[in-house]
Amino acid sequence: MDAYLIAIGTIAGIYLLLALGLNLQFGLTGLINFGHVGFFCVGAYTSAILSTKGVPIPLSLAAAAALAMLAAWPLGIISIRLREDYFAIVTLGFSEVVRLVVTSEGWLTNGVQGIAGIPRIFRAGGGEAQAVLMLGLTLAFCLISIVAMMRIVRSPFGRMIEAIRDNEEAVRSLGKEPARFKMQVLLLGSMLAGISGALYAHYIGYISPDQFIPFVTFQVWMAIIMGGVGRISGTIAGVLILMFFLEGSRFLRDVAPFIPEVSMASIRLGVIGLALILFTIYRPQGLMGDFTKR
Amino acid sequence: MKLTRRQTLASLGLAAGAGLLPRLALSQDAGIFRIGALNPVTGAGGPYGTGMQKMILAAAEMVNAAGGAGGRKFEVFAEDTQTQPQAAVLAAKKLIDVNKVQAILGTWSSGVSLAVIPLTNEAGIPLFHCSGAPALSVAPANGKKLGYRFQATNDRFGRAFAEIAKKEGFKRPATMAFNNASGIGNTEGFTRAWTAMGGEVVASVVYEPAQPSYRAELQKILDAKPDVIVTGSYLADTTIILREWFQTGEEIKWIIPAWAANSELVKALGPDVVEGIISVDSISNEGSPAFAAYDAAYQKAIGKSGLGNVYAAMAWDMVIVLALAMEAAGPGADVAAINAKMREVANPDGTKVSNFAEGKAALKNGKINYEGASSILDFDEFGDVTPDFAASFIRKGEIKREYQVKL
Repeated sequence: MDAYLIAIGTIAGIYLLLALGLNLQFGLTGLINFGHVGFFCVGAYTSAILSTKGVPIPLSLAAAAALAMLAAWPLGIISIRLREDYFAIVTLGFSEVVRLVVTSEGWLTNGVQGIAGIPRIFRAGGGEAQAVLMLGLTLAFCLISIVAMMRIVRSPFGRMIEAIRDNEEAVRSLGKEPARFKMQVLLLGSMLAGISGALYAHYIGYISPDQFIPFVTFQVWMAIIMGGVGRISGTIAGVLILMFFLEGSRFLRDVAPFIPEVSMASIRLGVIGLALILFTIYRPQGLMGDFTKR
Repeated sequence: MKLTRRQTLASLGLAAGAGLLPRLALSQDAGIFRIGALNPVTGAGGPYGTGMQKMILAAAEMVNAAGGAGGRKFEVFAEDTQTQPQAAVLAAKKLIDVNKVQAILGTWSSGVSLAVIPLTNEAGIPLFHCSGAPALSVAPANGKKLGYRFQATNDRFGRAFAEIAKKEGFKRPATMAFNNASGIGNTEGFTRAWTAMGGEVVASVVYEPAQPSYRAELQKILDAKPDVIVTGSYLADTTIILREWFQTGEEIKWIIPAWAANSELVKALGPDVVEGIISVDSISNEGSPAFAAYDAAYQKAIGKSGLGNVYAAMAWDMVIVLALAMEAAGPGADVAAINAKMREVANPDGTKVSNFAEGKAALKNGKINYEGASSILDFDEFGDVTPDFAASFIRKGEIKREYQVKL
């Protein structure tokens, strides 16, 4: 049981990093990023390729974060001045471009065959000790990001990006240039996605292009919408709810043994869908939603 | 209103937690051997996963009815991989850590098997899969020799395509592959086998999925004037490609894997377009008594002929081979001892048997050789099997099998 909970915790931590980045971009700044998985993918592949070539893992992790930011930068220049819905389309396109590049450049990424045998971050000790260390590392990254987010929210920078979200024209009339702030937010969020991707690659040990489909982005969106957009507590709650439904439903059969094994999988998807609908109807602000604004 | 919702959530959580208790209590029973059925019930493998899972359950029930294997009865824990590596990893962790399974059976796509096999290796338990990727044969994936492949490798599929192309007398083949591991694996396997026979492939393209038109790719192939086009494709893209080819009016033959060249394709395009297409599939060990037993179980569980789901036949064999290996290893044997018996009960030089009860009886008088429902099921040093293949021709809208190909 322990090892399974540790596995869930690790995956939840990886999703939490993704969700924190997206919450910074959408929840706080109002950037509709439909291409979050693109940066996740860049991070995963960077760290996987470097570490299988013998680069020490701390370096490959740093490279993953840096490269994800680097990938976001030109995208930002092109699209940050666009209105938000255009930005959404550009980012969605970007994530598909990343996936296609990774699929096609077989000399670097092994194409559709994917990269197998990605080294684990902690090699010493048995399976159990490794898993605990991995969980610890993931949660440490989450904790650092959460503390950083909380500081950002309280800082002048945080008030600025929230102002951009609420009324961009007003910000401009005060003599501030929103584009610069949006770029910084985009880079920060992408960095988190890059780290998250690197952790994912080392944790799963095998990556292929079909793991980086837009569905991953939308899972993260589901999490922050259920939890409460623009709230850090909401992001955490959202990821936990998502994991609870995805994994908890595996145990549904233990309470309802009359459901045949084969129907279980379909019921699980149904339960998640139903939960999303109920949230939208009864709690559109999300579980931890901010009721003071809008 | 709010309170009610919270209460509902809380009770749901409690219920899920409480549900764990009976399962954990069960894990102390000694006469039980737990296996995990980890199948693609949803996602791309959806058409096969349900049948696979039902066959694992049916075969386990049959083994239990015959008195169990090595004095133990099977208990099956079923999970869905969603045909996604990440979901499969969590499901496998749950099977290994919560349900304490001692073997995982029936992972389907290569991505899933490659992601799950490090976990089964770590736990020291076997993984029986039906994935095509060559990487699953060797270290690191199969470094511990605990992985067994019940499906032909993509490479063997390619070799079967080449044998058929040679037999049909083609001289100038070209290839078109859907851009994923399986599509490219087929055409690369073909190219390797064909060039090894001294032939030449005149053109090849790899195309992206989900395009509305493949005219550009097709034109590139047609410009090289091939006499046959070998594909590694799926139904949706094959439909579009063939329609666009037919409009060009060029006289060309096609060799297409059977999961794309099936009755759905004939229905979508009409008999004129698909006339003469050669459809290739690995075939179950049809006509064998093991297949008859599987087919009867499949009819009973699904209500359709077992011919339509080769992977379900593999899943059926997985349980029976495992049971025979357990029986051969004797009561109370650990997983390593059972693993050591796998080839002994499946490979030649023993009494041929076709079901568990028969094998159990024959094991008392020496070695046995299980001839499975999915193939004759002889594992090579990598744990791979070599099924037979069949070439079927589409004539007047009917798909007719004309001959078998043995590699």
